[in-house]
Amino acid sequence: MLSLYRSLLHLYPANYRCEYGDEMMDVLSEVQAETRTRSALARIFYGAHEAGGLLYGALREHFRSITGSYDVFSRRRFAMRSEFRFPKATVALMTVILAAVIFAIEKAKAISASVPHANPPVGHIQPAQVTMVPTLLVTMICAIVAAVIGWAILFALRRSGVQQLSEMNPSASQRSGR
Amino acid sequence: MEVSEPVLLILLSLAEQPRHGYAILQDTERMSEGRVQLSTGTLYGALRRLLEDKWIERFKEQDSSRGRQAYRLTAQGRRNLQMEVARLKHLTRVATLRVARKET
Repeated sequence: MLSLYRSLLHLYPANYRCEYGDEMMDVLSEVQAETRTRSALARIFYGAHEAGGLLYGALREHFRSITGSYDVFSRRRFAMRSEFRFPKATVALMTVILAAVIFAIEKAKAISASVPHANPPVGHIQPAQVTMVPTLLVTMICAIVAAVIGWAILFALRRSGVQQLSEMNPSASQRSGR
Repeated sequence: MEVSEPVLLILLSLAEQPRHGYAILQDTERMSEGRVQLSTGTLYGALRRLLEDKWIERFKEQDSSRGRQAYRLTAQGRRNLQMEVARLKHLTRVATLRVARKET
């Protein structure tokens, strides 16, 4: 069980692991020793509880390292990094773009209905079940590729020192410079 | 900072005396009579947040042979905890009055 906990700790960001990893392993060892005398069912419960806690904690820490905040649904402005802020106008602009797209679709439908044309010959239509699976697969693969690219960009930004620059406190550096 | 029940229990545990991680886990479970069972991941998430907000501080235990890290409340943390307890007292008083009024 301890090796499972140790591997789950590897899911945490490296700096967090350096700071708290050993301490957390000490606590997990003590919890493990305490539950050793309990029933098998209780041990399974404690194991799942701890593993779930570690998974959730790792997710939270990664979320925090990306957004700079623990609050998933924070009222504050969403910030990926302190210098990567989505301005409030983004929501309004996106609404305008969505309205424009809907308007364009409706306009195209109206033009299509008003212009008489012969229907093109339609070939054999495949049943939905046959086309659904490949479509879902392709969508999933596209989503995974997009996620990997996004993650790589964030990772590259992090490595390039953008985060360190954003976390610099000019007043503190000025004070230390004096 | 929002004080959830687990965070409040952690602060109350440290209000009495400095403790290390496992002792906090045991004390929070004892205080809540087994209702709140924090996992290690949840505990350290909360501790890190409290450290960042300077409500608590971390130090190496001198009397421990293993030199374990322990945690204690800062002056700011104690002030905030007192404010939170006062808020809860007020809420409990109001709730008691309201519930009694409804019953009569």
